[in-house]
Amino acid sequence: MKTEQLLHAGYHQPKRKNNFNNVNTAERLLSLAAGGILLAKHYKRALSNPIKVLTGAYLVYRGLSGNCPLYTGLNKNSNETNAINTRVIFTVNKPREEVYRYWRQLENLPFFMSHLQRVDQKNDVQSEWIAKIPGGVGTIKWNAEIVKEIPNELIGWQSVENSSIDNAGKVEFYDAPRGQGTVLKVIFSYHPPAGALGEGVAKLFNPLFKTLLKEDIRAFKQVIEAGEVATIKGQSSGRK
Amino acid sequence: MKALCWNGVRDLRVERVPDPEILNPKDAIIKVTMSSVCGSDLHLINGFVPSMRAGDIIGHEFIGEVVETGAEVKNLKKGDRVVVISVIGCGECQYCKEETWSLCDNSNPNGLLQEKIYQYPTAGIFGYSHLFGGYAGSHAEYIRVPFADHGAFKIPEDISDEKAVFVSDGVPTGYMAAEMAAVKPGDIVAVWGAGGVGQMAMQCAYAMGAERVIAIDRLDYRLANAARYSGADILNYEDTDILEELKEATGGRGPDCCIDAVGMEAHTTGIEHVYDKTKQFLRLESDRASVLRQAIAACRKGGTVSVVGVYAGLVDKIPMGLFMNKGLTIRGGQMHGQKYVPMLFDLIRREIINPEFLLTHPVSLEAGQKAYEMFNDKTNKCMRAVFKPFN
Repeated sequence: MKTEQLLHAGYHQPKRKNNFNNVNTAERLLSLAAGGILLAKHYKRALSNPIKVLTGAYLVYRGLSGNCPLYTGLNKNSNETNAINTRVIFTVNKPREEVYRYWRQLENLPFFMSHLQRVDQKNDVQSEWIAKIPGGVGTIKWNAEIVKEIPNELIGWQSVENSSIDNAGKVEFYDAPRGQGTVLKVIFSYHPPAGALGEGVAKLFNPLFKTLLKEDIRAFKQVIEAGEVATIKGQSSGRK
Repeated sequence: MKALCWNGVRDLRVERVPDPEILNPKDAIIKVTMSSVCGSDLHLINGFVPSMRAGDIIGHEFIGEVVETGAEVKNLKKGDRVVVISVIGCGECQYCKEETWSLCDNSNPNGLLQEKIYQYPTAGIFGYSHLFGGYAGSHAEYIRVPFADHGAFKIPEDISDEKAVFVSDGVPTGYMAAEMAAVKPGDIVAVWGAGGVGQMAMQCAYAMGAERVIAIDRLDYRLANAARYSGADILNYEDTDILEELKEATGGRGPDCCIDAVGMEAHTTGIEHVYDKTKQFLRLESDRASVLRQAIAACRKGGTVSVVGVYAGLVDKIPMGLFMNKGLTIRGGQMHGQKYVPMLFDLIRREIINPEFLLTHPVSLEAGQKAYEMFNDKTNKCMRAVFKPFN
């Protein structure tokens, strides 16, 4: 699912536009440090090492100003990040209305989303989400609102501006052929913090994130079909 | 409680483990009265099925008594004498609703792991590796049975434990083998493997109207049993050319239905004509799908090959040209026991099928390692060793 397609579903995808400041904070700090070292080492013999000195000066300027002429030339902006999109599809053997109703009751989501602690629906549109941070180091809280809703077909949501978790997503509901229930398409879109560096890290974790989301939707299928999630946690074994 | 645990390849030990507890509202706890070895356990014990972990309790073919039920178990109560189907089905997904229970969407807690290999997760199976859910098995004093309303069946009073225990797995597997082979009245059916499942397939083939059943094995005592208890004509593949003998026995047409009740650890004399030709031409190594190859070669034009012997991954040198040009149908699957149990009780009551002779060695859990060695090495004329954890 591409960002443009998500846009059609009724979102605006937040983009931090700033034409002059095209270097993110992490890169600025690195530039300052590297430039400073180059200058300190070579400024006394600037004539014999003109390239190193010029590079140092360029890096210091880049670090101080947050502007990189090279990035401008390349039309790159490390303050802008691409959304990380994850997509999961499942067929659930229940009527579309029932699946939709269960999902629309956002308070139900923590029953199958393993990292969600609680969702409070404040009104028809706004909700507060609390998730456990993996590793048990605490919780994280954000506010979201439903930005598009077609009963029994689609729910789209987005975190409100300046949320600690910048995310958007939607669930689509279709009839499966031959009365096999409902096809559920879940698309989750996430803006990593900390610019390009964060994006790289987030991309590294994306397969893991996709797995988590998939297991959550599988648990949803088990809950709504079988009434419980199959488990072997806590069973007997000969392992010490 | 005591339980027979897998600790490594060919290393089984009885361990003291915690008693099982209800973990989900549809669980029941069963006190195990009988738990049979199964040929498919040998694949785990011999290290051919991946994802076993030291300490896993094995065993999946069992009967017992209900001792505890979860809040949402409706059809069972304490004291019920039940047979439990080895394959676990939730009863609510599309596959269970269509009575294809071993394809259940929801009963395998390790669906993700299985998807990596099979693309789609299949049902959980008791004591049968983490690929199939990692459920604790039945070679123990007690076992937790998930979705117990669907998997545990009350045993009619007039059916003995010695017969009922095999309704857990061996009998329905044999029945489904014959059903998938599309046995019709007048058919000639060849069954590779004269073990418990193979012989149940033979009896069920007759129940479906087969004119004649031919058993193929290398063990004379099992062939003698197949002749005596299952009414089969017998062929020992170490003494004869199976393809020629099957032609001889079928007026040159070949068997209408061929059943592979052996699976991935097949033995062979390595002389099948097609296999040799292929091997010679392509200079490939041998592997262990020899029964499947021979069944495809032996089957008459337009016939059906039914596979209930267990395969876990890949086999090679399958004669696709024979399969395609002879217009064969190949079907396979783990059995959908929940679908068959009431009908199987009926067939057993009417003595159309009888699995009782399979129980050759009642043993204690402590004898586990030795019992499996005997079963694996086919000594003492063993058909099935059956554990009685409380004797």
